[in-house]
Amino acid sequence: CLTSTQLVENEEQFQKKLADVIVNAEKDVSVGVRLARRLPLPVENEETRPCIDLVVFIINLSFERSFQSVELSLKYVDPGFFLGKVCFLVTGARCWSVSSDRLQSVRKLATSLRCPLLYAEDQTVEGVNTAAARLLRVLKVTAGLTPWATGLSLSTLTRCTLSSDLEGDFD
Amino acid sequence: MDETTRTVLQRVVRKVPATRLREVLRTWGRVPARQLDLLDFSTSKFVLFEDVRSLCEVNSNRLTLKHVCELEMIYFIGNPAQGVWRACHLTEPDDDVMTVELRQFKEQFKARLTELISNVSVKIKKHDDEAVWIRIAWGDHFHRPNQLKPTYVVHHLQTPYVFVYNLSTKHKPLLYQALVLATRHGSMKDSHLSGKSLTSIRDFLMRSYQQAFPTKYARPLQEKNTAPTNPNIEKEHAEQEEKRLQLACEAFGEGNVPRLETATYKLETRYRGSGNETLNNREEPFRALIKFSSANLLVSLNHCVSAGMAETPVTPLLSSITQKGKNYFVITDKGSGNSSQSMVQKK
Repeated sequence: CLTSTQLVENEEQFQKKLADVIVNAEKDVSVGVRLARRLPLPVENEETRPCIDLVVFIINLSFERSFQSVELSLKYVDPGFFLGKVCFLVTGARCWSVSSDRLQSVRKLATSLRCPLLYAEDQTVEGVNTAAARLLRVLKVTAGLTPWATGLSLSTLTRCTLSSDLEGDFD
Repeated sequence: MDETTRTVLQRVVRKVPATRLREVLRTWGRVPARQLDLLDFSTSKFVLFEDVRSLCEVNSNRLTLKHVCELEMIYFIGNPAQGVWRACHLTEPDDDVMTVELRQFKEQFKARLTELISNVSVKIKKHDDEAVWIRIAWGDHFHRPNQLKPTYVVHHLQTPYVFVYNLSTKHKPLLYQALVLATRHGSMKDSHLSGKSLTSIRDFLMRSYQQAFPTKYARPLQEKNTAPTNPNIEKEHAEQEEKRLQLACEAFGEGNVPRLETATYKLETRYRGSGNETLNNREEPFRALIKFSSANLLVSLNHCVSAGMAETPVTPLLSSITQKGKNYFVITDKGSGNSSQSMVQKK
């Protein structure tokens, strides 16, 4: 079985580590990972590019540019993808020097698009492995390899929501 | 041993790390090896200094200020990275500039300098790699030469390059004049290049580092980029990345580049931003000083460009660092038309 996921990250740091773990983790499914800094993807690669099952936008909360780049890239995503094939991955959320406003904006964005928002810790090996495992689970569903679920149903269950109760939790 | 000699010797012993002191003393050669072997280099510097001093004062080795300054010079030649070196260059060569050779240069330089300023102490030494090292201690009408703050000059004969360490503005014209006359040139100019490592600024100025040249046909991808470890991982923007890397290497060199620490831009341009009303309508220029500093500036700038943080093509403001061999620039309105437009993003 062949699946393919697209990781989009402005800093190009975390995506490499994730890619290495993802492709080595699965033995019975062949996972293709494509790395990009931003969208749109270059036209030259269109013919060789396989069908993408999941697009993951990686946002590093330490850099304003990271979020801005993702906002700009979102315009180039085909609307069909938003029915369960797009997910946001946020790193650096635990860093106390990051303002909570940025995280709020990311959550607002994810909520408005009805997409899941995952948090990842990119500085340790366990963090990378955990993030890769979660992405793989999502990928298997969106690729249709899990019989009881589809991407849309999963994203309905896991999508990001903004609730006023949660806002007080971020000290 | 008089006070000055003692002070200079004390400074040398204190500054040189104990592990190096033995070989420096040996290279100096003024104290016989068998006496050096008796010294214990593991004691404190204070005790070591007393030992060395008594060795110097022993009758057969009656060593003077001149010899102690020589010792300091030997250590300095081996370890020139102790402060900021500035580069200058000689211009307007005379017809017979190629005939200047070492002995003549030494005589001429000493003669000219002592003509210009009477109380000065000069020592000239030729190093293995064809460089001429000059140590100058400056004095004036009322004071003897100050041996504690010498100026060091390095010059490669028959090249226009001169590197200067610890030269005050007061003595600059004197040194320049003496050098110009001794090397048969018309004048000497500041190169606007400074750095902590002498070898680095020399290599940088003489362009002896690995440079990338623009090629019409791009190299195959495998040569430059590290191949992804897994064939399942593919980079979408690989071509653009390769192009960025090529442009970065063209502008800043690749591999082991000379180590520069800073690049400074002095702006004397009119303010052209959109926000500030008070600053916008001024007649006089908006003076600002922009300084980039890094442990290895060229590598940092290369990374900025190849990682996409700075725009490509590389702005001439940055690429002139390597193109012109300078790291201090004065930007005026006439000189660079787009000084406010080419924004470089720094993390």
